[in-house]
Amino acid sequence: MCLRGMEEPGLPKWNANEKKELELAGWIAGGLLLTDDPVPDDPKPASTVTLKVEQPTAEEVAQDAEHSPEIPEKFLPAYFAERPKTFLVDPQGLLSPANFRDRLSFLNYHASDSSIDLFVYVIGKDQEIPSEVREEEMIERFFSQGRPAVIVYYYLGSPQRSVVYLSPSLTDVVSAAEQRRALASSVVQAFEKLNPAEQLEAFLVQMSIRVYWMERMIGGAASAVEVAPVPGAVANAEEKTLAKNQKIEWARAIAIKYVMPAGATLTLLFVCLFINFWLKRGARYVFPDFDVEPRLGGAHAAGVGAVISFASAALPPASQRDQVPDYLRRA
Amino acid sequence: MKCPRCVQRIHRAAASCPHCGFTLADADARFGHEEVRIRCLTDSAGIFRRGDRERVQAAMDAITRHFPQIFVAIYTGSLGEISNIRQFGFWLLNRSAFEDVPVTKPNAAGILITIDPESKAAGMVFGYLLDPFLEEADTFDCLSRAHAYWLEGDYAGGLLKSLALLGVILRKRSRHARRDPEYFERKVLPPAQMVDLVRRIRAGHRQVLAKEQSEEVKL
Repeated sequence: MCLRGMEEPGLPKWNANEKKELELAGWIAGGLLLTDDPVPDDPKPASTVTLKVEQPTAEEVAQDAEHSPEIPEKFLPAYFAERPKTFLVDPQGLLSPANFRDRLSFLNYHASDSSIDLFVYVIGKDQEIPSEVREEEMIERFFSQGRPAVIVYYYLGSPQRSVVYLSPSLTDVVSAAEQRRALASSVVQAFEKLNPAEQLEAFLVQMSIRVYWMERMIGGAASAVEVAPVPGAVANAEEKTLAKNQKIEWARAIAIKYVMPAGATLTLLFVCLFINFWLKRGARYVFPDFDVEPRLGGAHAAGVGAVISFASAALPPASQRDQVPDYLRRA
Repeated sequence: MKCPRCVQRIHRAAASCPHCGFTLADADARFGHEEVRIRCLTDSAGIFRRGDRERVQAAMDAITRHFPQIFVAIYTGSLGEISNIRQFGFWLLNRSAFEDVPVTKPNAAGILITIDPESKAAGMVFGYLLDPFLEEADTFDCLSRAHAYWLEGDYAGGLLKSLALLGVILRKRSRHARRDPEYFERKVLPPAQMVDLVRRIRAGHRQVLAKEQSEEVKL
């Protein structure tokens, strides 16, 4: 059956009464599409609207340029004037007190467990470190002495901007590639969280792990380069010192109890031996002088002693002890 | 003590050997009547090597230092035909005049070690001063200590060992003599005479008789 050539059916037409009833009810299905009336609340085309917006003045443009995202100047001394007293530096109060306490506690724990300290400067998400602050110079100035340290500039809410520096004692032993890997893995861990505070927590945990591996990698170098703990920063350092002092005290007590008496006894013994040797060396021995009747016509001597032959090794002294006349010897 | 010629035992005051009749005169006839002037360390045989003389002299001086009454003399020489070293030692200690020994020290205070490298024999004799304190066995021990060294031709080494032991023995005897001089005095007492024994017995009888008489008077 072919439909070509057949006439199309005509469109339905509104019954005026039905349309009025539906309009009264408030809604006609497809009414918006099937009408030539304008759509209610439809904004007029922009081209057709002429807006009068005031252009910014030159002063306003200059003010915007002055309003940079740098760290406010009043916080700069707290950040960069001296070596931080705590492992977490947040003078702007970007972290809530509870979060600050928790992160600081973690960093203190890390310091007690590791020979490499971890210092974290918390900076705002969009903030910039002023150009006049030279981070490398500051690190070298503040962290050349004391325990080796890893310093992190962490941008709260924007972990990917974080920067890591190592104290001078570590820069020679930890490669730049390792530093990059540590930072990258920490950032990845941070991005697994949504909350900026949680991001910081994840970042620090991962960074602490990476610091541990740095410590393992450099072996005893970290402990060898450490000079003196940061005063007030490491709570556990005092415990270590105390334990060391206790060991010294114990060794001293043992020395006083055993070693010194033994040493004194040995010294006394050596002194006695030396005195004995000295007395013997200078000793004089005297024999009582008895009257002895001369014998065999000798005016001075008749005490004929022994005679020994050393003509042959086959004739040892033992066989010569009994010195008897030849005619009394056995044939 | 023994006779230098027959090596038989003789008693303490024998004017001559009761076995062979040996006296110093016999030795004089063999070795000479003249006094011999020698030094304490006389190496006629030339057996000491470089530095040996000083070492041996130091050991001899040490003995003299510790025992101020006595001195040690060493004579080395080839005796040749007259090779009875025992008689030679006896004669030399009686006839020699040691140039480096003070006159206050008579030869009776000397100990003479004689070494004959040709006949490979050595002897040790000592004067009357040491007669109670040294015995033949002591001198034999001293010479025995040197035997191994002398076999190797190390005469100085053997002498040092010998003198070291001699010093030990003399120290021991000196201490003993200080503690118990009677022990040594008894060794040199002249032998008891028969007359003395009779006198002692009679004296004892007299004492008994006197006691009995006094008891009778009391009664």
